[in-house]
Order: sequence, then C-alpha cells, then structure tokens
Amino acid sequence: MNTMTLNGKNISFNPGDTILDVAQENGVEIPTLCYLQAADHKGVCRVCVVEVDGADRLLPACATPAADGMVVETHSELVVQTRKMMLELLLADGDHNCLFCESNGDCKLQELVYEYGIKDAPRTATYEPRPIDDATPMIFRDFNKCVLCGRCVAACNDVQCNDAIPFPYGRREEKPLPTGWLPLADYDHCVHCGECIQACPVGAIIEKKAIGQARSWEMEKVRSTCPYCGVGCQLWLHVKDDRIIKVTGVEDGSPNKGRLCVKGRFGYDFIYSEERLKTPLIRENGGFREASWDEALDLVANKFKEIIATHGPDAIGGVSCSRSINEDSYNMQKFFREVLGTNNIDNCART
Amino acid sequence: MTSQTFSTWGRWVVGHEQVPQDKLPSEFAKNQPLKAFMGWDGLFVHDTTVNLVDMARAYMKLAREESCGQCFPCRLGTEDMSAILDGICAGKGTAAELDRLESLARLVSQTARCDIGQTAPRPLLDLLQYRREDFLKIIKNKAPIPTGHYIAKVTAPCTNACPSHVNIPDYVEKIRIGRWDQALSSIRNDCPLPGVIGRVCVRPCEFNCRRQHVDSGIAIRALKRFAADTELASGDEPCLHSGPTKDKKVAIIGAGPAGLACAYYLGLRGYASTIFEVMNEPGGMTAVGIPDYRLPRDILRHEANQVKKLGCEIRYGVNVGVDITLKDLKLQGYGAIFVGVGAPEASKMRCEGEDAGYKGFMTGVEFLRRIADGEQSVEGKKFLAIGGGNVAMDCVRSALRLGYTDVNLIYRRTRAEMPADPVEITEAEEEGVKFHFLVAPLKIIAEEGKVTGLECHRMELGEPDASGRRRPVVVEGSNFIIECDFIVPAIGQVCVVDCVLPPGEVEISKWKTLPTDEITRRTNQPSIFGGGDCVTGPATLIAALAAGKNAARFIDQFLSSGTSTPEDCDYMERLISKLGVFNSKEKMPYKDSKTKLHPPMMEPEIRIKSFDEAEGKINAASATKEASRCLRCYRIAMAAV
Ligand SMILES: Cc1cc2nc3c(=O)[nH]c(=O)nc-3n(C[C@H](O)[C@H](O)[C@H](O)COP(=O)(O)OP(=O)(O)OC[C@H]3O[C@@H](n4cnc5c(N)ncnc54)[C@H](O)[C@@H]3O)c2cc1C
Ligand code: SF4
Ligand code: SF4
Ligand code: SF4
Ligand code: FES
Repeated sequence: MNTMTLNGKNISFNPGDTILDVAQENGVEIPTLCYLQAADHKGVCRVCVVEVDGADRLLPACATPAADGMVVETHSELVVQTRKMMLELLLADGDHNCLFCESNGDCKLQELVYEYGIKDAPRTATYEPRPIDDATPMIFRDFNKCVLCGRCVAACNDVQCNDAIPFPYGRREEKPLPTGWLPLADYDHCVHCGECIQACPVGAIIEKKAIGQARSWEMEKVRSTCPYCGVGCQLWLHVKDDRIIKVTGVEDGSPNKGRLCVKGRFGYDFIYSEERLKTPLIRENGGFREASWDEALDLVANKFKEIIATHGPDAIGGVSCSRSINEDSYNMQKFFREVLGTNNIDNCART
Repeated sequence: MTSQTFSTWGRWVVGHEQVPQDKLPSEFAKNQPLKAFMGWDGLFVHDTTVNLVDMARAYMKLAREESCGQCFPCRLGTEDMSAILDGICAGKGTAAELDRLESLARLVSQTARCDIGQTAPRPLLDLLQYRREDFLKIIKNKAPIPTGHYIAKVTAPCTNACPSHVNIPDYVEKIRIGRWDQALSSIRNDCPLPGVIGRVCVRPCEFNCRRQHVDSGIAIRALKRFAADTELASGDEPCLHSGPTKDKKVAIIGAGPAGLACAYYLGLRGYASTIFEVMNEPGGMTAVGIPDYRLPRDILRHEANQVKKLGCEIRYGVNVGVDITLKDLKLQGYGAIFVGVGAPEASKMRCEGEDAGYKGFMTGVEFLRRIADGEQSVEGKKFLAIGGGNVAMDCVRSALRLGYTDVNLIYRRTRAEMPADPVEITEAEEEGVKFHFLVAPLKIIAEEGKVTGLECHRMELGEPDASGRRRPVVVEGSNFIIECDFIVPAIGQVCVVDCVLPPGEVEISKWKTLPTDEITRRTNQPSIFGGGDCVTGPATLIAALAAGKNAARFIDQFLSSGTSTPEDCDYMERLISKLGVFNSKEKMPYKDSKTKLHPPMMEPEIRIKSFDEAEGKINAASATKEASRCLRCYRIAMAAV
C-alpha cells in the first residue's frame, strides 16, 4: 500500500503527501514558482505540472495528492515542453530586464528561464505597461515584473493576516488591465512588515533601502537574533562590506519561522547612526565628558551606596529593557532584590 | 469526416462517449434552428453557413473575458489565443501562428487550474483537427471575414442543476477569499432568501457537484447559510436598492416563496407591488410547513421582510377569491398579477375512514401548521405517519419534539425508494423514529370517534412504473393492525387554484393547477402570471423562488412593452439543460480524500426535547477550507442560430 512510481523508481509515501512532497523527499526536483508552504498557497503557476499515467491532462505536483499505484514522470518530453511554453508566456508578459533588476541572481523566474533554456518569448497579445508603486518609504513595487503568482497576497492575508493586499483576481471582464489583476497594496491596512517582499519570487517587490546597494551575489548572509523585543526572531542579515543591505527572516528558524515585523526587517539604521554612544559619558559642569567603563561604573556604584545610606533602598527603582535577553533581565532583578535590597524592579515589555 | 456538418460533442470527457450528431438538439427556439454549438465538450454543426473560424474567435474572446486570472496558462494563454484569432479573422494571420495557436490551446487545456481553461480550448482544438483548411483559407485570402452574432452563456454543473441557477462557483470562491459580503450579493442575484435556502434547500446542486468524483461534493448549502449567518451576526442590513421607480404596480397573490421572490425582483426593477396573503405571516409553506428545528421562524421573517425595503406592501388576512376578486384587483389599477398560492391541500390516501372526522386523525400539512401556530398538543403516546417524503419526515420528527414517545412511519416501498432527503431519514432514525417499510394503509380503526389503530397491508415491489421506481403491489391476505393514538398521512399536496381565480377567466388544469408558459410564467391571460407550487404541484422552495424571479422579469417586459416573450438567454439555458452539464460517469484524473464539511448537529437526545434549531453554525475557518475544495467547474456555451 502507498507506493508509487516516480520517474521509473518504486517508492513509498505517507498518505496525505502531494506529488511534490514525495518528490522532495526522494531528491527529485520539481520546479515551483507560486507554492508558498506557510500559507498553503499553490496551484497557480502550473510550472510544477507532471505527467501522471491515465490522466487526461498534466497535474500540478504541488496540489495533487499522491495515490497508490500512481505512475508519475516529472521531466518527460511533454512536461518539459509544457514548462518551456509556460515560461515563455510568463517572460513575455512583463518587462523583465535582469540587468537593472535588484533580484538579479535571486529570482525564481530567472533561474527557471535559464534552466529551461528559454531563448525568446513570442507573444501575440500586446503588453500594456503596468504601474509602479513608490508611495511608501520601505517598499517598492514594480508590477511590470509581477508574474501574478499570488504569493504576496497569500503572505499578507494568510500568513501575517493584515488583509492589506486584497485578493486581486476575478473575471477579466470586471477587472480591466493594466491594474485589474495586480496585487495592489492597500496602505490603510499595510503595517510594512515586508512579508510580501520575502514572498515575492521575482523582483516585483523589493526593499527600497536596498536599491542600488548590492548585487545578490555580493552579499553575505549572517544569521542573527532580532535586537528588538523579547520574542527573539531569527534574522538573516544580508551584508556587504560590513554593512547591512537588507534583512530577511530565517524560514526554518524558530520562533518566527521566517516571519518578521516592520522593526526587525527595516529597523537597522540606528547601527550606523552618528549619534550612537560609543563610550560612557559623565555629566559635569552642564556638559558630558567621555569616561572609561571603570570610572563610570565606580561612580554609579558609589551613588547607589550614597542613596541607600541616606534614603534607604526603596529610593531606587529599576526598569530592565525588554530588548535584553531573559538571562540579563533575570540578573538585573536578582541584583535589585539581593544586592540593592528593593523590589522596585520592572520591565518595559515593549520597545 | 467529409460531410460539412459534424460533431465532436462528448469526445473530451473521460468515461463518456461521443454523442452522435442526430442525438444532439437541432432547435434553438420554436422555428429557430440551432446552426452550431460550441462548448465544454467539443462542438457540433448542423448548418454549413456558420463561419466556424469566426465563431471560434468569439468563443475564445469570451473565454478570455471569463478567465479569472489565477492560473498562468489560462490568464496568458486565452489572451494570446484570442489575439491570434483576432488577427486571423482580420485577414492578418499566418500559418506559423496557426501552429502556435494549437500549441497554446493544448497547453491551456492540459495545465489550467479550472474548467474555464481546461475546457475552453476544446472546440478550437477540434476545429484545428477537423477544419484546419477553413483557417488556412482565410489566412491565404488575407481579407477580413465578417463578424457573426452568437449567443453565449456561462454555466457550471451545480449552477445548471439549481432551478434558479445561482452562480455557485462564484459565491463559493468569494467565501474562500473571505468576502462573505460579496458572496451574499452574488447569491441574492438569484436567490432572495439566502438564510432560508442555506438551511432547508433540497440542494440539487450538491447532487450535481463534480467534486464528488474527486472525494466528496462541496457543502454548497452550508456555505450559503454561513454567508447569511455572518451578515446577520454582523448586524449589517442587506444592501438592497429598488430600481428607478416605474409608474405601474403589480398585485401578488400569496406571500409564499414564489410571491416573495416575485416582489423582490420586481422591486429591484423599480416596480411597487402589493402582496395579498390570507395568513398573518409571510413564507407560505416555509412558515407553516417547515418546522422550526430546521428553519427558525425569525430567520424567515427577517429575510421575507426585506421585500418591504424594495417597495412591496404585504396585506395580511386577505383571502383572494373571497375578500377580494381578480376583477377588483384590476379595477384597483394593478397592471399585472402574479399568482403564487401554492399547493395547500393534502392528497387523499383513498383509505377507509379518512373523511370520517375521527379525533386523532389529521393531515400532515394541517398537523405541521397547528404546531407552527402553537395549537397542537400531544394526544396519547403512539404516533403513526404515512408517507416517505420530506413532509412525512417533518411530521414524525415534530411528533417526537411534541412529546410522542413512540413514533412510527409506514411507507409502501422500501428505504431505497423514499423520496425524502437521505440526511433527513438518517436524522429521524437517530432520533428514534421507527420505520416500517412495504406497508400501506387500508382502514382507520376508531372507537367512539377516536383513532385506535390503522389496518394495513404488506406490500412487495413489482415492475418499475413511469417514475422508474418499482411499483408496490399488495400481498394478498397480509392485513394486520397497528395500534396507535394519532395518525397523520403525509403523502403529498394538491392545488386548489380554482378557489382563488374564477374558473373560465384564466385557464386552470383538471388537477386545479395553473398552467403557465414554462419560461415566461404567463398564463393564458397576458397580464396574469403564476409560479411555484400552484403551477407545478408540490415542489421545492428554490423552484418557487426561481419561478418568482423569472416571472418578475417577464412582468417587467409585459408592463414596459406589452408582450412577454422569452429571450435568447432563456432558450440558451434550456439548450444547456438539455445537453446536461453534470456527467455522473466522468472520471477525474486524480483522487483526494478530503471529507465534506458537515455542520455541527445537536445530539439526538437533546434535539428532540425542543423545536430549537438542530443544525449549528460553521466557523469562518471551516467555511474557507470547504470553499477551497471547489473545482470552479465553469463551462462556456455558445450557439450560432
Ligand atoms: C412540510 C413541508 C416541508 C417542506 N420542506 C421543504 C424543504 O425542506 N425544502 C424545500 O425546498 N421545500 C420544502 N417544502 C416545499 C416548499 O415549502 C414549497 O415548495 C414552497 O413553499 C412553495 O412555494 P409557493 O410560494 O409556491 O407556495 P406556498 O409556500 O404554499 O405559499 C402560498 C401562499 O399563498 C397563500 N395563499 C393561498 N391562497 C390564497 C388566497 N386565496 N389568497 C391569499 N393568499 C393565499 C398561502 O397562505 C401561502 O402563504 C416543504 C413543504 C412542506 C409542506
Ligand atoms: S524579476 Fe527576475 S526575471 Fe524579472 S527582471 Fe528581475 S531578475 Fe529578471
Ligand atoms: S508581486 Fe511578486 S509575489 Fe506578488 S503576485 Fe507579483 S510576483 Fe507574485
Ligand atoms: S466543484 Fe464547485 S463548481 Fe464544480 S460542481 Fe462542485 S460546487 Fe460547482
Ligand atoms: S508550484 Fe505548483 S502550481 Fe505553482
């Protein structure tokens, strides 16, 4: 029971798996473009189609359940020809100039077009230029590169649940192009989490701050923990010449599983601020003087002692920063209760 | 294939045979032959004068317009195919483009997500296979060809099965994307009582849902109820606006589903109407027949009263034919009259004692009406109903709720032949109703004018009758008596239109129904229309709503132009129904194992304690999940006449 033939090989699978799941588990690569696992979004692009014995059409691997006795070919001549034609259509239905595109080198379409050896993209219908959305400070949308895979829509509505990209489709009659079917953002609902950027497989939605800063292959990915709240989301810092160009979520990292909020994704400018404090400062004669850590800490310790001696320990209160890790906050309250002798200790629990 | 007329119809569906050309409809309307037809299953041509290339162009243009843009091949492919066909018909095509057209057609039909893309290229592929020379000739001539006029319609298996042709894939999809408000306005285009229909429709759509071939059909009714419930819970009032005011008004007899639907759609067209209703309550049989545990009365009242917003006045307690006559209505200036008086009388069993007036004997409709009006109490312990339909189910299940402890039902055939909804039968069984099959009534036994039992025969199944069901025949000498305290026959209702309309003025059939044109719903009098149970005999809510809706359109036509004649879309609808959209033998290329959404049900022992609604609400997450199973089986039909 529960065995199928995949490219001539007999394999077993778990009930409920799709053909794509089975292929992935067995090291067979099937291209996908629209499939967004986190949102269970699939069945749109049809580049994952495969040939199944006895079927009167090709079936999308991402959306077709594996079945006992199924015989599947993932790269038959028909399948490859079909994928090619689909990619040609896709390429023609847009304005893709990889030379100038921020996603160059990190683009699903580009990858597939290369893999399937697409040389030109004939098209009979005329291409109507589509809008560019430069309205907000963080996100730049160029719908001329949009393939309408719907991943941003699913990411916004089903992953982040912001409902800021209304489901764009509908009868063509009722949704006249050029804007009709485009996943236009509704900035009244948008919280600028940038989930759509991360979901976009091409260069249609990008981080505005990264424009012109680096080519994809020039960046090194450094894993880090978000410095903001106590959740501790896992980040990839995309770094060039020791500068962060952009930030994305670590898809398989807990606790955020790739999701980020506006701060984690975009709030890293402070690192490069000229106004950042680099050494302790001591206030003297109405101004600040740079000091060493030893001098500054001695001063604070003495002042604490002085206050406790004259007013008692309850004259001191502490607020631990919620950007600190749990261990630091624990130590801080221990220090307040045990060393200073007061229960006046709290956490701001927000940034 | 040498003859000029030809057919490929039926060759595309796996598990189905090609239909011979002479078996395909050749008449569009009376005296109007059907020249050619293109659709989801190929094409057929009866008349060689049709330019099939131009028709293919028009068909693809429509497919392009209907495309929903979600999957790549259909979105891009229909666009390109349409552009190529436009070019060819404009005399600018090339032979190379023809090859590309074929590749595109194959690509789209092979890979598209829903039936628009999967089926729309089929007639084109057939033409490219059998009539390629037609294309090549035009390409060679380099001259534009004339553009023809075609009649088109988009349908789906579920939609076609629904008497009112509710756009099911559309509203299901809107629920999937979380827009219950849009879903509801889509439903209201064809069904003015979504909350009512979402609870008690007999759901022909679900029995024609193609998803059954994959795992289990879509819970179309439950999704409708979900949309209506969500609106009600939101406190939003339905967004209804009557059309631009017309100066003519319409009288409607009966505030049943048919009358309400007629008023609703007349209102949308700008006509004020007055409903004359003998009872003190809207809804007809839906109010006094269907028990509260299936349809709470406040839901019905809320939805029925929406017609008032659309310029309709309901006058209760008026018995047309007694308090007011047809002539009076005409004198009062009503430009047209719609008759929707239902089938109120119970059919006779032809069983000894049924007219004797015994205490403890009452017809099903009377029993249910008395319960609805709060007039019925328990009389004894053992209850016996006769019949196998939904009304019988309502009687036995209501009897349990009323307090009878031993509830029985006799039916003269077997369970397999019961016309009642299988779900109703199961639920009645769960609640403790005892079924006695192959038993028919013979004589009511009474003592001192009070029922004590029913003498019955045993039956056996003989040859199939006209309805295809095996005819029950009496087993001689099998008589026996079932003791009981209360007997309720529920074997059907009959019409009494002659009590409402003066015979002679309007034609009334010998069954006392009101004959009307099957499309326009007009009687033999140009200004009098009718619909619902009084025309068809006892049928369904949705059929009554459909009749009311259609009549409204033709009443509008009559009041504005003086005639009422069917339109092309009506003939097209009929043609499509004749061809059939759902194919019970279709084999799908894959199977899944998702189960149909079943709304939560109160436990049987709890639900029989009261008339509270037994079926619970479904939440948004399960509605979305259910909706995402829909295959969007849209099909495009086009006729040349
Ligand atoms: C017990 C029962 C259960 C049913 N359950 C279902 C179900 O679950 N699903 C389903 O789809 N269908 C069901 N039906 C069928 C459905 O109720 C009917 O098909 C539908 O109500 C027919 O609508 P109508 O408008 O034609 O007639 P009716 O509903 O019969 O309405 C006719 C109206 O006209 C009024 N009227 C009659 N004569 C006059 C007069 N002379 N003057 C003024 N007013 C008059 C009546 O009082 C009534 O209000 C059921 C029927 C019954 C009896
Ligand atoms: S989106 Fe991809 S294919 Fe399009 S221009 Fe950018 S890199 Fe090239
Ligand atoms: S913007 Fe990107 S993610 Fe959104 S539909 Fe277009 S290509 Fe897909
Ligand atoms: S799957 Fe959807 S479109 Fe197809 S018949 Fe069922 S409800 Fe209708
Ligand atoms: S990945 Fe399967 S349809 Fe897009």
